[in-house]
Amino acid sequence: MGCSSFIRRILFPLGLSLAAAGVLGAQERIVFTPQSGAQAQFAGYYVALERGFYAEEGLDVEIVHPFATHSAVDKIREGECTATTLPLSLAMRTIDGGLPLVNILQTSMNSATVILSRWGDDPLTLHGAKVATFRAGFGQLARSFAETEHLDYEWIVTASAVNLFVVGAVDATLGRSYDEYYRILQTGLFTPGKGIYRFEDGEYNIQQEGVYVSRGWYERHKEQAEAFARASRRGWEWAAAHPDEAVSLSMRYVLENWTPTNGTLQKLMLQEVLRLQLDHDSGRRAFRLRPDMVEKASRLLREAGVLSRDITMEDLLP
Amino acid sequence: MRRLLKDFRRSLSVSLSTWVVLFAALIFLAALGSASFFARRYVREEAVKRADQVLENSALRLSNILEDVEIAADNLEWLVYRNLDHPDRMMDYTRSTLQGIPGLSGCSISFEPYYYPDRQYWSVYSGYLADGSIQSEQEGNDDYQYFYLDWYQLPKLLNQPCWTEPYSDWEPDDDVDLLTKMLVSYSKPLTDSDGNYIGCVTLDISLKWLSENLSSVRPYPHSYVVLLSRGGTFLVHPFQDKLFHETIYTRTLADPDSDLEALGHAMQDQEEGMRALRIDGRRSYVFYTPLKSTGWSMAIVCPRRDVFSGFNRLRRMAVGLALLGLLFMFVVCFRVIGKTLKPLRELASQARNIADGHFDTVLPDDPRQDEIGTLSRSFAHMQTSLVSYIDELTRTTAKRERIESELEVARNIQMGMIPRQFPERDDIDLYGETIPAKEVGGDLYDFSLQDGKLYFCIGDVSGKGIPASLFMAMARTIFRVAVQKTPAVSEIAREINESLTADNDQLMFVTMFLGAVDLGSGRMSFCSCGHNPPALLSPDGKASFLDCIPNVPLGVTPGYAFQEQGIADVRGVPLLMYTDGLNEAENAGHEPFGNDQLLAVLENAPFVSAQEAVSRMNSALRAHVAGAEASDDLTMLCVRIAFR
Repeated sequence: MGCSSFIRRILFPLGLSLAAAGVLGAQERIVFTPQSGAQAQFAGYYVALERGFYAEEGLDVEIVHPFATHSAVDKIREGECTATTLPLSLAMRTIDGGLPLVNILQTSMNSATVILSRWGDDPLTLHGAKVATFRAGFGQLARSFAETEHLDYEWIVTASAVNLFVVGAVDATLGRSYDEYYRILQTGLFTPGKGIYRFEDGEYNIQQEGVYVSRGWYERHKEQAEAFARASRRGWEWAAAHPDEAVSLSMRYVLENWTPTNGTLQKLMLQEVLRLQLDHDSGRRAFRLRPDMVEKASRLLREAGVLSRDITMEDLLP
Repeated sequence: MRRLLKDFRRSLSVSLSTWVVLFAALIFLAALGSASFFARRYVREEAVKRADQVLENSALRLSNILEDVEIAADNLEWLVYRNLDHPDRMMDYTRSTLQGIPGLSGCSISFEPYYYPDRQYWSVYSGYLADGSIQSEQEGNDDYQYFYLDWYQLPKLLNQPCWTEPYSDWEPDDDVDLLTKMLVSYSKPLTDSDGNYIGCVTLDISLKWLSENLSSVRPYPHSYVVLLSRGGTFLVHPFQDKLFHETIYTRTLADPDSDLEALGHAMQDQEEGMRALRIDGRRSYVFYTPLKSTGWSMAIVCPRRDVFSGFNRLRRMAVGLALLGLLFMFVVCFRVIGKTLKPLRELASQARNIADGHFDTVLPDDPRQDEIGTLSRSFAHMQTSLVSYIDELTRTTAKRERIESELEVARNIQMGMIPRQFPERDDIDLYGETIPAKEVGGDLYDFSLQDGKLYFCIGDVSGKGIPASLFMAMARTIFRVAVQKTPAVSEIAREINESLTADNDQLMFVTMFLGAVDLGSGRMSFCSCGHNPPALLSPDGKASFLDCIPNVPLGVTPGYAFQEQGIADVRGVPLLMYTDGLNEAENAGHEPFGNDQLLAVLENAPFVSAQEAVSRMNSALRAHVAGAEASDDLTMLCVRIAFR
C-alpha cells in the first residue's frame, strides 16, 4: 500500500471516526443485523463500514449476522439490533403483526424470488407438489402467487431448502436468484430451462430487500437513521463501481463468520444483487420504494390472507 | 557450426562416425519409442488395477464405518421405542450410543413439538466438547427450532432412514472449530403405531473425522481421496476450504469444464469407473466408485505425473544412457576409422610430394591385405609407372625437340630453294608464294630465263612432310638441269619424268605445269603433267581455265611421251598457276574454296600486278577457311608478260 493510499484508506477514515466519536460521543451504537449470514448480498454495508462511510456520517455501526434459527425480525423485535434488511412482503407482514417498521433505504427494485423444480418440470404445472419455503423472508408473496394460480402447493417450511431439494425430499423450492439459485446450480442437479420460474418476469415482480428500523427507534434517532441510509447507499454505489473489491471484502466477512460458501458463488451473488437494484423502468439504482409495487404487494398479500389490512407507503416510510 | 560442417565435409572420420551414430540413434529411437509405448500402456494398466484396489478397499472400509452408524441407529431406535414413555432416559441413550461408536461426533433423539404434551420441544443431544468430554442437553427452544432442520425433516418427508447433505451445526459460542461442526447425519424416522411421524434418531459424523480417516488413502505421493455427497459437495477433500463450501461443479460456474462436469454427473449417478482429465490444471486419472447406501461417491485423484513418475524416471535414465552410449560410440568410431584411414592420409601426403616433383619419395610399405593395403600397393605401382613414364616423356620430348630443330633447318633449306627474287623487268611481271601445311612441304615453283624465253613451273608432290620435300627438291633440281639441256617443254617434262622414275622405290610422283614464253613474240608453249589447269584473265576481264592435255604426273610412267600445247600470244594476259591447296581448301563446314570462287576472285577486281593478284587470292582464301587448319600445301605463281 502506497503512502497516499494508506492515508486515504486508513488514516483518513480513522481520523474521521475519532473526530466523530468526539463530537458525537453520546451517539448510540447502531447494531445492524442483515437478514441472513455473511455474504455478498450485503456487500454495500461491508463497504460502507470498511471504507469509513458510516464513520464519515458520525455513526458507530456494528454488523452482527443472525443464526439460522433466530431471525433478524426476532432480533429487532427484541431490541437486539437496531436495523435489519427485510423483503418488502415480510416487512409488511411484520408491520401488520404489530411491529411498526420504517423503511430507511430500499436497495432492491425487483423480485429475486424464483421457484426451482427438482425434476426439471415447469413449476407452474406442479399441482400439489411439495415446495420448500423459508420460515421467514420472501415466501409470503410466493404463497399468494400459488393460491392465485391454484397450484395447491404443499409448503414445507424449512431452514435447509437446498438440502431438501438435493436429496429429492421436495419437488421444488423457493429461492432467490442470487443465492439458492446458484447454490442449487452448483450441485449439478439443476439445469436452467423450463424448470425455473422468475417472479421478476411476471405480475409478481415486487421489490424485495430494504433496510428497516423500528419506528420507535426511528422517531428517536431520525438523523442517525438518515445518515445510516446515506452511508449504506454510498456503500452500494461503491460496490457497483468496484465489484471485485466488494467481493473480496465480502469474502473477509464470509471467512470471519464461517459462512459455508465460496468465492465463485459470492461473485455471482453480487452480480445478481446489483442487477436487481436496477429499476426496470428507469434503468437506474433508485434506492426507493415504488408506490405501485407497495400497493400491489399489499393487495396480493391481503388477498392471500397474509395481511389483515392494507399496508401503505405511509406505514413504511418515515 | 560452420567449422563443424567444414570438418564434416573434409574429414571422412567425422562424417562416417556421424552417419554411424545417426543411424544408431535412429534405431535406438525406434526401439525406445516402441518400448516406451508398450511400457506406458502396461504401467497405466497396473496403475488402474492398483488404484482400483485401493479405492475398493477404502470404499469398503468407509462403508463398514457407515454401516456401524446405521446399526447403532437401529439399536437406538429400538431403545427409544421401548422407552417412549420415559423421555428423560433418552439423554442417557444418546450418550451411551455416542460412546459406543468411534467416529460419531453427536447423537440426538428428537420429537415433534408437543409430542410429549408437557414439553413443547424435546430434542436431546449428546456431543463431544473440545476437551473430549461429552455434553448432553435438551437443545430445542425458541431460538433453536430443530424441526426446521434437514436432519429432522428428511426422514419425515422421505419416511425412511437417510443420510443428509453436509450442513453446519456451528454456533459462535461453540468451543470447537467450524470444521468439527461440519456434519453429515444419518437420521431414522420414529413413527407411532399408526405410522405417523413422531420424531427421529440422528447420528452425526464430522467431515473432519471423515477426512482424517481417509487422508491416509494415497496410492501415489500426490494422489488424494475425494468424497462427494449426492449434491456434489465435497465431504472429503485435501483442501479444507473446499470441504462443504464447494461442489465438484463450483469451478465450472465461472469456467465451464465439460470433462469435470461429466465426471460429477457420473459420480452422482452412482457410476463406477475411471476418467482422465485436468484437475486444478494437472492432468490426472480419477477412479471413482459409489457408496450405495448413502448416495455418495468416492474417488481417488491420481496426478498422471505421479502414476508415470517411475516410468518417466526410467525413460529419462534410458535416454541419458543412450546419449552417453552414442557419444562413446562416436568417439570409438572416430578413433577406429581415423586409425584405419591413417595410411590413406600418409598416401595423400606422399602423393602431394610426388606431385611436387619428388618422384623418389618412399611410400610406406603396408602389409595389409584389405582395400587400403591394395590401394597402397597400387599407389606404389603407380609411382613406379609414373617415374618410368616421366623418363620416357623426357627422352621423347628431347628427341622431338631435336627433330623439330632439324625440321626447322630443313624448312629453311627448302624455302631457300624456292625463288624469292623475281625478275625486275618491264616485260615480265612474275610473283610466287608457297605455304607448306607442315614444317616442310611438297609444293614447288621455279622459273628460269634462257635464250629470250621465260621458263617456269609449278608442282605438287604426292604426300607431305619430309619425303615430299626431298622429292620436291629433286624435281626442282632436275627442272633447272633440263631447262639447260632442251628448249621444248615436253622434253623438259620427259627429262624430269625419266630422272624421277629411276629408283623411285617409294612410288612418289609430282604433278607439274611447265611453261615457256617467248618474250619477243609472246608465244607460250606449255605441258601439264597431271596438274590443275592454270587460270587466265582475258583482256575483257573474263577469267577461265586453260584447256590442257592432262598427260600423267612425273615419276610414275617411265618412257612416257608428254604432249606439248601452245598459245600464240599471251602478252597482257595474266596467268595464275596454283596447287590444289587453293581450290580444295576447306572451311570448318568442309566446303571447298572451289574453282568458281577462284575465277570470281580474279574477275572481281582489275589486275594490278602478279603480287597483288596472289595477295588478293590469299585474302579470299583466308576469308573462306575462317581459321580452319590447312590440310595441304598451298602454292601460287602468277605471271604476266607485257608488250615490249
